[in-house]
Amino acid sequence: MSQELEKKFASELEKNQGIIHKVCRSYTNNETAHKDLFQEITIQLWKAYPKFRGDSKFSTWMYRVAFNTAISLYRKSKRSIETTQIYDNLKELEFQDYDDTKDQQLKLLYNAIYSLNDIEKALALLYLEDKSYKEIAGMLGISEVNARVKMNRTKTKLKNILNP
Amino acid sequence: MDQLEKLKNVWKDQSESTIKFTESDIYNMVHQRSSSIVKWILIISILEFVLPNLFILFSDFESTKTVYQNYGLNDSMLVYTIIHVIVILGFIYLFYKNYKNINAECSVKDLLHNILKTRKTVKYYIYYNLTMAAIIGIHVFYIVFNSEQFINKLPTNTSMVMIWLVAIGIFAFFLFLFWCFYRIIYGFFLKKLKNNYAELQEAE
Repeated sequence: MSQELEKKFASELEKNQGIIHKVCRSYTNNETAHKDLFQEITIQLWKAYPKFRGDSKFSTWMYRVAFNTAISLYRKSKRSIETTQIYDNLKELEFQDYDDTKDQQLKLLYNAIYSLNDIEKALALLYLEDKSYKEIAGMLGISEVNARVKMNRTKTKLKNILNP
Repeated sequence: MDQLEKLKNVWKDQSESTIKFTESDIYNMVHQRSSSIVKWILIISILEFVLPNLFILFSDFESTKTVYQNYGLNDSMLVYTIIHVIVILGFIYLFYKNYKNINAECSVKDLLHNILKTRKTVKYYIYYNLTMAAIIGIHVFYIVFNSEQFINKLPTNTSMVMIWLVAIGIFAFFLFLFWCFYRIIYGFFLKKLKNNYAELQEAE
């Protein structure tokens, strides 16, 4: 595949990497596994990229591949991920207004999502991302009715975890 | 406002991840080795196709041919070999067709279905091998145990029923051991995928 395509892919992914980080943070519980899963999702996205025709939104396509990787394809490996630049957001935030409550709430939310099963994790993320039931059903490969039923169950489970 | 709806706002306002990759990092990542199970499915499946047949290929040809010759089994073994080759080619074709359908862009349920279907092809291939081994084994036992050469060598008053029971018992035991071993590996390997598929299938 051409270098030009690779550069275009790297640029688009760099701008939208937040989506993958949200999936990684939900499906892993440590930095090494997070980076490992991120790399695997990147590889799967790259394999699929030449076939992406834009018939769905780029973010929707990324979520689909990311969930498929996290749920079905990913095997933990021992590789180490080298990066050219990693920065710690918290250090930057020292000098800005830092909302400890929101950060704590987010941490609790991610911990709660992590304790769900693989399918429920996907449902929780798609709910928080405000995806329609039609999109959720399409991504998971189930009917809209089933998507609603499963979503309600997941939301109840999530509430119970957050309010023990 | 519902608690989860409030948390949606926290979710939307979340700052960027503490882990962040540059374009250069991502560019390097795409050239790394994948750790996807699809690669392992292919490697293990190839081994499962090849190993049972390697056993036949590396068995002692001359002594085996002599046995077949002495007991008039040449024609039968030729027929079994032809059937076996046709069936293997059929399974390889089915496996390849199912394997090519494994793709990360389809829905989560379809991907799980395609992976499980691909492994099912290999599972049925293994069952075919066990069944063929049983059929050939019983056929060979029948010919050998009913031959004059064999009967003449037996001590007097030997029970043929006992000989059959012992032969089938030992043979069945080894086939069973192989089947158990295979089921453990197969079950372990695909347990998570089967559970996720069942979760999606529920209430459809």
